[in-house]
Amino acid sequence: MPKRLLEFSDHTAIAGVGYTPFTKDSGVSTLTLACRAVLAALEDAGLAPDDVDGLATHRVGDSAPPTLVGPALGLADLSWHLDQFGGGSVSHAVVGQAALAVAAGLAETVVCYRAINARSEFRMGGTGRGLPASFEVQYQAPYGYVAPAQQFAMYARAHMLRYGTRAEHLGALAVTQRANAAKNPRALMRTPITLDDYLASRWIAEPFRLLDCCLETDGACAVVVTTAERARSLRRPPVLVSAAAWGGGTSHLSCDDPTVTAAAALAPRLYAQAGLGPGDVDVAELYDCFTYSVIVQLEDYGFCPKGEGGPYVASGATALDGALPVNTHGGFLSEGYVHGINHIAEAVSQLRGEAGDRQVPGAEVALSTAQPGYVLPATSALILRRA
Amino acid sequence: MPGYRPEPDRDSRAWWERVARREFAVQECDACGTLRFPPRAFCAACRTEGWRWREVAPEGEVESWIVSRQPFVPGLRDPYLVVMVRLKAVPGGLVYGNWRAERPPEAGERVRGVFTQVDEELIVLDWMPESCIAIRSGENSPAD
Repeated sequence: MPKRLLEFSDHTAIAGVGYTPFTKDSGVSTLTLACRAVLAALEDAGLAPDDVDGLATHRVGDSAPPTLVGPALGLADLSWHLDQFGGGSVSHAVVGQAALAVAAGLAETVVCYRAINARSEFRMGGTGRGLPASFEVQYQAPYGYVAPAQQFAMYARAHMLRYGTRAEHLGALAVTQRANAAKNPRALMRTPITLDDYLASRWIAEPFRLLDCCLETDGACAVVVTTAERARSLRRPPVLVSAAAWGGGTSHLSCDDPTVTAAAALAPRLYAQAGLGPGDVDVAELYDCFTYSVIVQLEDYGFCPKGEGGPYVASGATALDGALPVNTHGGFLSEGYVHGINHIAEAVSQLRGEAGDRQVPGAEVALSTAQPGYVLPATSALILRRA
Repeated sequence: MPGYRPEPDRDSRAWWERVARREFAVQECDACGTLRFPPRAFCAACRTEGWRWREVAPEGEVESWIVSRQPFVPGLRDPYLVVMVRLKAVPGGLVYGNWRAERPPEAGERVRGVFTQVDEELIVLDWMPESCIAIRSGENSPAD
């Protein structure tokens, strides 16, 4: 382990969360969405824009960077900012790095945001968009193999072939998360579905059906990171950042086992930082661009043995009343897709005890995760704790 | 078949030129002999730069596959099958291609590469069962 130079665990906190509505067409720019979410998060925390000395986001050429949002909100002198390149795999690294900057004293109040018109302007699914900027895409594009739905379907089938994971397992996850979304006023899709509905939904890329795929969404979400000490004096109950970890994996063009993600290597570091283990997690908000990404993370974060993520979900363990409630807001599959930060915001709501009908009673520790390291070989995650 | 064409970079251009000559090559490290794909200047095992092309038989095993049914790519509306193959010559190496047989692949099935002439300028490497003789080279994909 590297030598520790500053105290990190539980020294910073999330003091506020803010959202725009989730829609299929926001009708406004990503800059406008970002400003609205940032101001909403500050309002939630009981802070003013002039309290902000840091901004952080991630993007893939699809959104407004801090150097645009800062001036747009009249934030003339930011002492720290981060414009992280990347998609869902770095979503939690943004908040982790903001917490690190606050812990190190580079900034005191950082607002992390993600703003996307992922439905009306920039569809991750690739429909009508050029090729992603990636060295490796040249070995896939000539075969019509470019969209995340295709890539994750490929890994899902590898998991099915190796471990016997079945469509019914993926379907159980989609059904469970929709049931959670039915209790979430913010969710785009709130009508409950059955396993038969799942099985009857049209093919996208076999083995994925429509209901395996997340909702491409217009919207923004933001969280305010500050010192734990300052958070205690603010409007809302503080949620402590107990652990933040990120890490790399191997390329999807060269790996020994595509059913193991970068999360498997990251998880021990993450848990060690918090002094906790999987058994201590009360609620998990796991990156669900597709059903399969949750199944593999349940294994790689140690909630069930390798290969048993499917049966674990089908057993009901991830339902609101199960052993490990997962994606209590409905996730990207049913609430909306804001590329990771809405998972962090939901974890905060749960730890504050403010999640309404979908509240997990007595939730004290939450795990929230980024895309586990497919496509781009990187991932990140947070453990958050009620103060 | 493709709506998209490969966009070679400075590391990969020579590899694509070999594919265009219906040759499948991987890199062999001068220092430690490790074979690697895709083309890169450095050996990830010993971190040295010296290497040479090593022509190998395009053979491998089926690791996974999908049947794409959504028009993700402009111009491609019909379903098509993309297979992920683990290279025999490079144990960690995964390659992709369209499947060129009338039946779907099987898990772990041994496959061989077949060069497909897409148009006057482009040749790509596709995959078919090892048991099939590569007589279909030059045709378009089964989905066309």
